[in-house]
Amino acid sequence: MKINLTVNHKNYSLQINSDLLLVDLLRDHIGLTGTKKGCEIGECGACTVIMNGKTVNSCLVLAVQADGAEITTIEGVANNGDLHPVQQAFLEHDAVHCGFCTPGMVLSAINLLNHNPNPTEFEIREAIAGNLCRCTGYQQIVEAIQSAADKSK
Amino acid sequence: MQYHKPKNISEVTELLDTFNGSAQIIAGGTDMLVETRYHQQNLKEHWIDISEIDELKQIHVIDGQISIGPAATHSDITGNDVIKQHAPLLAEACRVIGSLQIRNRGTIGGNVCNASPCADSIPALIVLDAQLVIDSAEGEQVKPISEFFIKPYKTILTPGSWLKNIRIHKMDTEDKFAFLKLGRRNALAISRMNFAVVMKISNHIIDSVRLAPGSVYPIWRRVTEAEEFLQGKKASETMFKEAGKIVADSMIKTSGRRWSTPYKEPAVANLTERVLCKAVKFDC
Amino acid sequence: MNKHQIIGSRQKRVDALGKVTGAAKYAADYNIPFQLYGAVKYAEYPHAIIKKIVTAEAEKLAGVTTVLTCKDVPGKNHFGLIPNIRILADDRTRYLGDVVAIVAAENIKTANQAVEMIQIEYEELPAVFDPEEALKPNAVKLYDEGNQIVHHKVRKGNITEGFRQADFIIENKFTTQAIEHAYLEPEAALAMPDEHDGFKIIGCMQNFYTSHKVIAGALDKPLSKVQIIQSTMGGSFGGKDESATLVAVRAALLAQKTGRPVKMVNSREDSFIQSYKRHPYKMYYKWGCKKDGTIAAMEMKIIADGGAYCSMSPFVTWRSVVQATGPYYCANVKTDVYAAYTNNNFTGAMRGFGSPQVNFAIESMMDELAEKVGKSPLEIRLQNGFEQNAVTATGQKLDHYVSLKDVLQTSANESSFETCWKENKSKQKIGKKIVRGIGLACAYRGVSLGAEGVDAPSSIVYVQPDGSVSLASGIIDMGQGARTAMAQIAAEVLGLPLTRVHFQEPDSGRVADSGATVASRGTIMGGGAMKIAAENVRKIMENTAREKFKLSKGDIVFKNENIFIRKNKSEKKICSFDTLVEACYQAGRPLFASGVRNIAVTSWDEETGQGNAYFTFVYGTNIAEVEVDLASGKVNVTRFLSTHDVGKAVNKSMVEGQIYGGVAMGMGYGVMENFIQESGKAKTINFDEYYIPTALDMPKMKSIIVENEDKFGPFGAKSIGEPALEIAAPAIANAIYNATGKRIYNLPANLEEILLGRKLRRDVERGSVSCKIEV
Repeated sequence: MKINLTVNHKNYSLQINSDLLLVDLLRDHIGLTGTKKGCEIGECGACTVIMNGKTVNSCLVLAVQADGAEITTIEGVANNGDLHPVQQAFLEHDAVHCGFCTPGMVLSAINLLNHNPNPTEFEIREAIAGNLCRCTGYQQIVEAIQSAADKSK
Repeated sequence: MQYHKPKNISEVTELLDTFNGSAQIIAGGTDMLVETRYHQQNLKEHWIDISEIDELKQIHVIDGQISIGPAATHSDITGNDVIKQHAPLLAEACRVIGSLQIRNRGTIGGNVCNASPCADSIPALIVLDAQLVIDSAEGEQVKPISEFFIKPYKTILTPGSWLKNIRIHKMDTEDKFAFLKLGRRNALAISRMNFAVVMKISNHIIDSVRLAPGSVYPIWRRVTEAEEFLQGKKASETMFKEAGKIVADSMIKTSGRRWSTPYKEPAVANLTERVLCKAVKFDC
Repeated sequence: MNKHQIIGSRQKRVDALGKVTGAAKYAADYNIPFQLYGAVKYAEYPHAIIKKIVTAEAEKLAGVTTVLTCKDVPGKNHFGLIPNIRILADDRTRYLGDVVAIVAAENIKTANQAVEMIQIEYEELPAVFDPEEALKPNAVKLYDEGNQIVHHKVRKGNITEGFRQADFIIENKFTTQAIEHAYLEPEAALAMPDEHDGFKIIGCMQNFYTSHKVIAGALDKPLSKVQIIQSTMGGSFGGKDESATLVAVRAALLAQKTGRPVKMVNSREDSFIQSYKRHPYKMYYKWGCKKDGTIAAMEMKIIADGGAYCSMSPFVTWRSVVQATGPYYCANVKTDVYAAYTNNNFTGAMRGFGSPQVNFAIESMMDELAEKVGKSPLEIRLQNGFEQNAVTATGQKLDHYVSLKDVLQTSANESSFETCWKENKSKQKIGKKIVRGIGLACAYRGVSLGAEGVDAPSSIVYVQPDGSVSLASGIIDMGQGARTAMAQIAAEVLGLPLTRVHFQEPDSGRVADSGATVASRGTIMGGGAMKIAAENVRKIMENTAREKFKLSKGDIVFKNENIFIRKNKSEKKICSFDTLVEACYQAGRPLFASGVRNIAVTSWDEETGQGNAYFTFVYGTNIAEVEVDLASGKVNVTRFLSTHDVGKAVNKSMVEGQIYGGVAMGMGYGVMENFIQESGKAKTINFDEYYIPTALDMPKMKSIIVENEDKFGPFGAKSIGEPALEIAAPAIANAIYNATGKRIYNLPANLEEILLGRKLRRDVERGSVSCKIEV
């Protein structure tokens, strides 16, 4: 099947099989390996991308379902080399350990701040509850997101 | 697998009819794409994607009733003003499903049709007396949700029929209600059990109550035994505790004593009491 | 004031930028043209003789390049501490994660299809799943030698006499569950033949020196013809030793056979099914105590489930036997720790390494003792806890600074422990549905490998001609921050900013065999080696400076990218760092040096269990506050305080990060995590059923870093990785007791354990994935 989609502001026109998953399209067909595979059943959030303004697990979206969609992956977050405030905050708060959950975590955080610029601690935790992290205990991640929100005020 | 993307409702019905038992509906895919991993054999060859049919995503009021398209996602429901105002119980139930990513894709129609015993939206729809509009080449029929389920993962939907719409009555603003979910962790948790309740109370007396637990009976139902017990009584912790026991007893009567009963018996009683208390804002 | 420039401050991680932009490449992110994809055929019985393997059908499938079984392994098919781990199952299957055959195909779908077409004839054998059963004389044997992997002993004083002196006895059985490491990145490897009859393997191996030997051994190649390249690692926690080696060596075998690159990526399910776990323990604790609260005798019998193969069981259980008494005085000790083979998943290294299990038992016993003699948990520990120069159960005199009581008291003060504990205790109320409790646990922990093995890692420092610095170490970064800590140490020694120092990925040909990055030894041992390497480079530079600038007296100081001479407390700049680098190269002195750290001061007697087990110890205290819902049995951890003496925090933010992450993992161990096998079949094979804590399960935590510099550590640094985890679960269990008055004897303290004091199990297949089994 043929689909057209926009990934990180770039248009792609691709010939794909109907059972291809969005995560595999991103990783194997257009080489964006920043999107990670951790469980492939929507339970870990490592493959989180923003699709049409909402976070989704790209392992639970058929690539054909992304026909016409606009997608942001971790590679599309920095603007011409300038880090997004959330990325910057992750660096400053030591919120990145092994880094495998980081792409999904950053996208969930950005999506939260896009919809809710003044989140409470609970709202931050709720927003990243679909992103498992085994290294950090989430504390420095929550602090980073809080500080990114504070700084953008 | 062959993928089909109908443009409108009638095309959905036509496609289902054409493939005559070898097709199934996909909406958000959050259950189905997991099935491909573990139970490929349960899946059919033709997938009909309804997730982008606009009219199947709509939530609005028609003739005093709330009409919910089956392709409305859990996020659509929790964020919808009509739901927040007129069916806040449903919003509460949908808010505790999975994670935000799951709620952004998973749909209410999928939750109902997958008929998993731990589905969070179903007890809420049961107490809200949801009516399900089922469509097929033979035409449309409306069924109360209480008649929709045969057993876990099995509904009355035949190969050519599909869930086209969900209708619920508006809740009264004075209605007392609560939803309670017990999981092994605080997010991304499969419900160990869940409870939905709506009550009407005047002068502390319970005029009516509708109570439905999930993962308690083989299929969902309201606990009429407990509802009848409570009706006409004064709302109190003692009464709610008693109602809890009735639910636990009726669970054992229906399902017998099973591996999980030693835990479920006290937990069902306690949490029934709690959901009732929560509805009337008692602290228990 | 910080006496250092870079050590002890909060530095940003040197590798975080690539990780926030998606540029970091993990093993599964590598692809090269014409690569094949590998897949595995699992055993179908947990214990069976393999009679025949028929691969003909699978080989005929279009797109399949090769199918291999054990007979196709050119070199050694077995490896391990006791070399019985099979790369490909040969004589028998011993657990359901055994791999009988492997396939390489043009794409993963075809590879998986081919796997389904492999036919195996078995002769099923009776199996054993309980380590206690396995140790009985008439048990089914997994190996001719019997099922006992190891038996460690500690004998101190006279146990009979000890119990005779006791006023009363506390006797309990504790059990702990199998735990999955649950690193977010599943194991993966890409193996390829190189142009010189050798092989290159990119992978995520925690112990890549072992992987190196196993792969070279299996391919029947010299070590120098096999190059292992470490990719960025997505967590390990002790888990990517043999488990990651197995993936890499199978990929390498397929690459050797086909002459093409082969990529092998574990799915999460593969990872759960194949990989080793943290050992489940059964612990029989019997203490003879006196009315005043002292302990006259401790008798412990511990049985660990080692599973199908011998991974790290002998070492894991050795740490248990050394630390089984906790940091408490007792003159008469008898400890026996056994590990046994069963037909479960094999078990091995996991963060804590034999301590999380015994700490749960010890700290529960301690609280029970406090209760019996009417003291608080804090009082009883202050009474019995080790002080300066205490002698441990193994006869070791603790001559480093013993900070146990400091960390206890600091934690108690910070959390108002005594007040909260008494208040909750008085409120243990019937009828109340949500009850609160506070709990305490402390521990001491031997640093690094101790007497269990050779402990001598290497590092390399290379100051390039332009003054930028390349580092390499035999210690790897799996997310804990070794790259940054190493860079900080080298930068400190050379007086450079962190931005000038670059840690290069380890590679089997670059740095001498340094052993595994385990036992929280990265900083103290690998960092120690890095400091020596940097000092060796600095010596070359110092000598050159003295000659070139004719300096005879005074210390040469490297600071702020400049070189100074210090005389009578005043410093005078000689030249810039870069100028001196240039001078060195002009003088024909390349700035390249290595360093080795070897602290060989440990000893051990296998018969008596006496000796200097570790060269130093760390001390920590955890305090947990919980809410227990008596209606459902749900435990919420609401506050957490973690205090650790780390010697010296090289990077405060990273130490805190280790602490928070350790607490989270310990919390999962305490209340929710459980790798379940029924008759050897793994029931929890993905994150839908194996629960680890989410952001909504973790409370806001607080950490206190205590610093008592140790003479063995670089700048005084000791350890934090494992200490951070090992006492969270007992602190939570003790908090549950404070809240409910019911003691937890079996981890995890899940819904059923709280409500019923036991676990429930059902033995049927799940109906559908979207509604999970409930155990």
